[in-house]
Amino acid sequence: MRNIILPGEEISDQPMRLSNTYVENGKTYASVVGMLDEEGRYTPLESVYSPRPGDTVVGIVVDVRHHGFVIDVNLSSNATLPARDTRLRLEMGDLVFGKIGRIFPSGDIDLQDVRKLSGGKIFDVPTAKVPRIIGKKSSMLDMIRESTNTKIVVGNNGYIWISEQGNIPLVMKVIEYIVENAHKKGLTDKMSEFIKKHME
Amino acid sequence: MSKKEEVFKDGKRPDGRANDELRPMKMKVGILSNADGSSYLEWGGNKVICGVYGPREAIPKHSQDPKKSLVKVKYSMSTFASKEEHGRAGPSRRSNEISKVIKEALENMVFTEKYPRTQIDVFVDVLQAEGGTRVASITAAALALADAGIPMKDMCCGVAVGKAGDQIIVDLGKEEDNLGQSDMPLALSNRDKNILLLQMDGLLTLEEIEKAIELAEKASDKIHEMQKKAINSVYTEEPEEVFTM
Amino acid sequence: MGDIKDLIMKEGRRNVLMNMLGKGERLDGRDFNEYRPISVQKGVADTAEGSAVAQIGNTKVLAAVKITSATPFPDRPEEGIFITSAEFLQLADPTFEGGPPREDAIELARVVDRGIRSAEIIDTGSFFIEEGKVLALFLDLYVLDNRGNLMDTAGLAAAAALKDTKIPKVEDGQLIMGEVDRDLNPPEIPVPTTFVKIGHYWVVDPLKDEENVADSRLTITTTSKHVCTMQKAQGVLAKEELLNNINISFNIGKDIRKYL
Repeated sequence: MRNIILPGEEISDQPMRLSNTYVENGKTYASVVGMLDEEGRYTPLESVYSPRPGDTVVGIVVDVRHHGFVIDVNLSSNATLPARDTRLRLEMGDLVFGKIGRIFPSGDIDLQDVRKLSGGKIFDVPTAKVPRIIGKKSSMLDMIRESTNTKIVVGNNGYIWISEQGNIPLVMKVIEYIVENAHKKGLTDKMSEFIKKHME
Repeated sequence: MSKKEEVFKDGKRPDGRANDELRPMKMKVGILSNADGSSYLEWGGNKVICGVYGPREAIPKHSQDPKKSLVKVKYSMSTFASKEEHGRAGPSRRSNEISKVIKEALENMVFTEKYPRTQIDVFVDVLQAEGGTRVASITAAALALADAGIPMKDMCCGVAVGKAGDQIIVDLGKEEDNLGQSDMPLALSNRDKNILLLQMDGLLTLEEIEKAIELAEKASDKIHEMQKKAINSVYTEEPEEVFTM
Repeated sequence: MGDIKDLIMKEGRRNVLMNMLGKGERLDGRDFNEYRPISVQKGVADTAEGSAVAQIGNTKVLAAVKITSATPFPDRPEEGIFITSAEFLQLADPTFEGGPPREDAIELARVVDRGIRSAEIIDTGSFFIEEGKVLALFLDLYVLDNRGNLMDTAGLAAAAALKDTKIPKVEDGQLIMGEVDRDLNPPEIPVPTTFVKIGHYWVVDPLKDEENVADSRLTITTTSKHVCTMQKAQGVLAKEELLNNINISFNIGKDIRKYL
């Protein structure tokens, strides 16, 4: 039986540095709904996406400035790809993916390792559903990629890019299904059934 | 007949509850498909639905706080919430005040500094009302915030305490609220029992207030258990397909 | 700057949807004339004289009926009052804004209202109490969750709430709340059927994504024998398309009435 933990519940009587927890008077408490296993390990189950350095994001170039490219990454403010950090020649409307580099105290974000995505389509899903689309150790995403024979880049920011080749309609249907049913249990099993049914 | 006799027949509360007994409650989370977090709460004759959106970019831009997220609460009452009349749509002075005190309760629980320049919207709609809608709203809102995965210091819930028929009682029903001697809605954090919301009307002595708060603390433990059960059931039970009220 | 993003997103969706429709497919695997799962639950609000939640897919609308006594309109002193309104609760959709109802909410209420009036299922003539006093029936629609096709979900909730409605007793010109005189018992059920056109294709019960990229939108409300109201939103349509869609809406209406 999994032990569900609510915000404010004690995870450890020692101070620990874990994401989605906080320390008060030397003890560690959960700050989001999570799961505590027999060994006392805490796994958050619901959490808001907040960008961290190294996260993969998909974006749209929305402006070209002297200092760099302004890229919409579905966050409360646009990210920047500094001109000095890249040799890419991008235009407004280009689709890209890359990693989050620096996050400034003001909330401004620099991107790094940015690459252009040629052709294909971009879609947005609620960021809260992204972990469900990726699945444990990328299991869900791998299943979607293999069974639909499509290149897919899923950004932690909720943008998803799908290549022009491959079974785009099926990918769309699968993602629609996950978004509509992400709150339900046993999603991976239901998904493989769903894909099988629609492959015919 | 005096008021206290009207409310308390033969020394009993109108619905026969013990002084420390809560009305029946039913809670559910994750009932809305668009909201980042949601909940539904039935508490006696109250039916409350809550949806949370965010953190999202705070608008208008000049309202943004570079250091933290703004918790925004909108409490509304449906036009069919009470048996007597067809109510007016839209905010009233009463609903605006309640929105404000709920906000000032919840913002103490949320780690707002994690999401600068954003806002977290909490929409509470009272579909049906029978006394104690503001404390029901806070209880539902805490569930929806947890469901949204918004980092919080602690869970919290609301409960009203007060005095009717010369007795200190918990969870006042509509009749007790209208005809009783005093009503004191409270919201408490779960672990430390810090007071997050406090309002009061009518007359109470210091001793009565102390006793009432003790009753509220005990009640809040029971409510928290139910909140925990509601969240638990998301991960352990097959959710119902049909929206049930 | 948000504009270019929205444009690219919308264009991408539209392209894919058109390609899929060309192959006879929809985003959620339905046929063009197929509805998402429907459910209706009556009697959800104890404080109302009639109520229901209707759900099509994940779209949910609550309808509640309140009956009170009121002063009749001066030009119709013996006739009861029937008023429909709609609230788009902000918890239902991230794009819903606060404040007074906007044009979408007003259109929704008016289309549902017209369907009920045209079908003549509320006998406001029987709402007379005494001189200067009649019954007033308020039908309030609350959008709880929007995943597309609010119109049909609201129409369904409204019909179900009216079927659930009990008219209170009147004694000596006073309404006795809590005591039932009779069921409202609507003799007909008007059912709205909404179509959108994307490229060359018409589909029923549109998803939000389909609505967002649609070229045309059309709602046809039918009773068992008649069309009782229609509403064309954006776009154009040919006569043949209209007649064909009317035909489809009669068939769908027949199916949907089974849920009530």
